[in-house]
Amino acid sequence: MSWAVVAENFPYLLRGTLYTAALSVAVILLGTTGGLVVGLLRFVPAAPLRGAVTATVEVVRATPLLLLLFFIFFGLPAIGIRIPTWPAAVLALSLWMTANTAEVVRGAIQSIPRGQTEAARSTGLTGIQTMRDVLVPQALRRMLPPFVGLCTILVKDTSLAAIIGVFELTRAAQESIERTLHPFELYLCAAAIYFCLCFPLSVLTARAERHLQRP
Amino acid sequence: MLLALAVGLGVALLSEIGGAVGRGLVRAYVEVFRNTPLLIQIFIVYFGLPQIGLKLSPFLSGLSALTLYAAAYNAEIFRAGLEAVPRGQHEAARSTGLSGAQVAGYIIVPQAVRICLPALGNNLVSLVKNSSLVSTIGMVELMFVANDISFNNFRSFEIYGAAAVLYVVLVLGLSRGLAVLERRLRRAGAAA
Repeated sequence: MSWAVVAENFPYLLRGTLYTAALSVAVILLGTTGGLVVGLLRFVPAAPLRGAVTATVEVVRATPLLLLLFFIFFGLPAIGIRIPTWPAAVLALSLWMTANTAEVVRGAIQSIPRGQTEAARSTGLTGIQTMRDVLVPQALRRMLPPFVGLCTILVKDTSLAAIIGVFELTRAAQESIERTLHPFELYLCAAAIYFCLCFPLSVLTARAERHLQRP
Repeated sequence: MLLALAVGLGVALLSEIGGAVGRGLVRAYVEVFRNTPLLIQIFIVYFGLPQIGLKLSPFLSGLSALTLYAAAYNAEIFRAGLEAVPRGQHEAARSTGLSGAQVAGYIIVPQAVRICLPALGNNLVSLVKNSSLVSTIGMVELMFVANDISFNNFRSFEIYGAAAVLYVVLVLGLSRGLAVLERRLRRAGAAA
């Protein structure tokens, strides 16, 4: 055990952390936008479109993220689509985030009592107006806790990008380990940094949940 | 998975009966394992522990990391489930002369399990998907086999596509099965 190694490589790990944060923010922005759109598409009256969206969301959610990543990074080049590491990681993670956010959106909207829709429609609002002015504002509050929970999982899952060679915290730890041969301390240190990123989010989730239970 | 269930339940019970110290320890365990990436945990067990003299095979490393990770999530679910069983159940059981262990075993845990089931099911499903991560340390499972084949014949598109299909079948089958089990248990609960 040698903590000097950790002290020496800490700046390098912090640089990796910066990339982890950047990757997370990019994916959260893309995935949230995509998830809102896809989640709302599941309420479109056209049944074929709805079915296609549902099937896609289910497939993405049922596939391990690692496999999604490998499919995009190693699989697509085989049919001529070559994507560099960074965009591949952003694409795979965003797909995952989009599908899961879409489920959160769908769940929240469906949890709004049916009477709200009926009342809104009977006052003469169109379907789109009902969604925009009545259902979504109420559902947003309910989306928040599971959404922050998703963000926590996402920050942890950005570590998978290291496997295809994206430079971020896990990759930085791996590179430091290749230089120093101290995997135990350095991985522990990386774990501690991830903990510092994720724990506040977990606390926020718990607080949002408690807030929601109060009327 | 069975291990993760057992450890999760054990940990949750410890937090119930262990007093303040037990509860503190359990909280720390749950928070640490839930807020760090599984990949890092697997790497610590497989690459890190040998450095302090504990060498595990890829299989054992993968198994123990996955178990600890899933158990942390399960413990949290069980805790919520145990707390959801009304206190009166506990008091009534004690007053009929059952011992503390009997109350836990016959009265509280069976009810808590029924309450926890949907959340546990979700966890089981994510565990199946997370098991793909242990391929990174060379444990032979679906993902590892897929990597192996595609590095041999370079038909990565088809191979990973096929692996995805297998995972989807596995996961969707599992969720359907769990939904059926849930409905069964609910019916049993209503009849009682």
